[in-house]
Amino acid sequence: MELRLTEISDSAVNLLPELIITTSLIASIIIGLIITKNRQAILHALALVTYLVTFLIVIQRWPSQPSSLFGGMLRLDDFSSFFKLLFLVGGFLTILISTKKKEATASEYILLINAIVLGSCLLSMSMHFVMVLLSIELVSLSSYILAGFGFDKKSSEGSLKYFLFGTVATACMIYGFSLIYGLSGTLDFSASQFVSTLSNSSSTLVLIGSFLILAGFLFKITAVPFHLWAPDVYESAPTPIVAFLSIVPKLAGLAILVKVVLAVNLFGQSGYPWQTIISVIALASIVVGNLSALPQTNPKRMLAYSSVAQSGFLLIGLATLSMEGIHFLMFYSVIFLLMNFLVFSTLNQYEHEGEMLTVDSFAGLGRVSFFPAFSMLIGMVALTGLPPTAGFTAKLLIFSSLWASYAETSTGILLILFVTGLIATVVSLFFYLKIPYFLFLKEVPANSVPTKSSGSGNVLHLILVIVLIYLFIQPGVLMGWINQITFVL
Amino acid sequence: MAKIDLLFYLGAFLFCSGLLIVFTKKNAIMILLGIELMLNAANLNLVLFNSQKTGLEGQLFALFVIIVAVCEAAVGIAIILKTYHYYHTSVPDQISELKEKP
Repeated sequence: MELRLTEISDSAVNLLPELIITTSLIASIIIGLIITKNRQAILHALALVTYLVTFLIVIQRWPSQPSSLFGGMLRLDDFSSFFKLLFLVGGFLTILISTKKKEATASEYILLINAIVLGSCLLSMSMHFVMVLLSIELVSLSSYILAGFGFDKKSSEGSLKYFLFGTVATACMIYGFSLIYGLSGTLDFSASQFVSTLSNSSSTLVLIGSFLILAGFLFKITAVPFHLWAPDVYESAPTPIVAFLSIVPKLAGLAILVKVVLAVNLFGQSGYPWQTIISVIALASIVVGNLSALPQTNPKRMLAYSSVAQSGFLLIGLATLSMEGIHFLMFYSVIFLLMNFLVFSTLNQYEHEGEMLTVDSFAGLGRVSFFPAFSMLIGMVALTGLPPTAGFTAKLLIFSSLWASYAETSTGILLILFVTGLIATVVSLFFYLKIPYFLFLKEVPANSVPTKSSGSGNVLHLILVIVLIYLFIQPGVLMGWINQITFVL
Repeated sequence: MAKIDLLFYLGAFLFCSGLLIVFTKKNAIMILLGIELMLNAANLNLVLFNSQKTGLEGQLFALFVIIVAVCEAAVGIAIILKTYHYYHTSVPDQISELKEKP
């Protein structure tokens, strides 16, 4: 691999969004050290401006020809740009909803969020196992620390569990990389050598190696059986952080999972049933997530299991192994970002007004102040996948691609996945609508303090609600945009 | 060729014993040790497979793995220390405020 200086400088130009985030990251360290007055406001403004500028730069290059950077380490294409936009929106919204949190005063808070966004952007562009490792570690290590940002007993415990599960998954992933490297002779999984040597190899080690690699990514997207950390971390970490961790690292993991699964599937030439493997993981995630969420009384724990189930639905798009399925997966990702943020942000708003440890504590609050309860209702309805929200459209599209794939190949597991997914959606009604039920239909306890909702939070929720309903009426706006993305490995 | 096979089995043995340590040992520090063994198994593999090929890809990757392992240990020990401060133990089984509540 010959890397000349000119190639590096040419590549660096294409890396402008990441360079801006890095600069902002370093600037936030310096600001944290020298400025003491109004530090939080300055840091938050800096981060918001950074994400806005980066967003505009990424969007301005859309649509672009795929270009290989740094000798094949990274590739900039529309697929990665699309996910980058989602990460930036995720970072932007997180900073926006954490302005009133006491944890958010530290400059490290902004720094770590920046680092995760940066790592996620790089991860979605990675084409080489070295780059995958470095960017996934940038995301992971920052997440472990952020999970402990409540600075109390519980969140240190959540952080420790997250760390222990995470490092084991990473170690398995690295061993998988080494096995696949030995078998294919290359670390670049988009290389033609990768496909040709692996399709000629009959060794079971291909399957073991690939599965170990996938373990690392499945951990990031909280798919079963790598979901055990999620409930503890979600329960203990500060709510804005949970919103962030449930979206950005998950979608980043999903982006790289799509690439690597398509690579190890060797464009259909693989001797191993990757479609079945992904379907089984999706099936397990949906079943375990939904059934475990049912008895939960802590809203954040319930949402953790809901997030496991949502990963299962996202994986359905990948299980089809078709271009169409992946387009619908991207559509679902956008909707997932919006609805998950809506729910967590509303939860965050309620938490400002008091401890919300159980679902019971929401009783009757919808009668006191209508709007937050209304956005919670819309968010939950969207997560369930009911009209009139885009959550319905997303589920409809992803199930239709699954059905199309079943009609084409008539693989039994796809049919089982289809039926289970539909039944699970019905089951999920019972826990998703639990909070809205308490909000609207229960009486306010006599000893409760009347609360008032904040104006700025409501505006943000209103925008999210409008977008969710608009995308239900006009999904074509987003789908037309996604359909432009041609995905080549 | 036999030597290469032997070294590959050594790597697999290291990986499996690392995984076993992770699952059986109670103390968080011991779990970290197990993880280090797993990473070293990967390093051994990378260097070993690289010796059969041209280029230095595998050896360079091994260097990156070492760097990542150091970062992980640093973050991990900081987190364990923080938890010790609250719970006065570094045994994850005894750190269990967060669990399923019926």
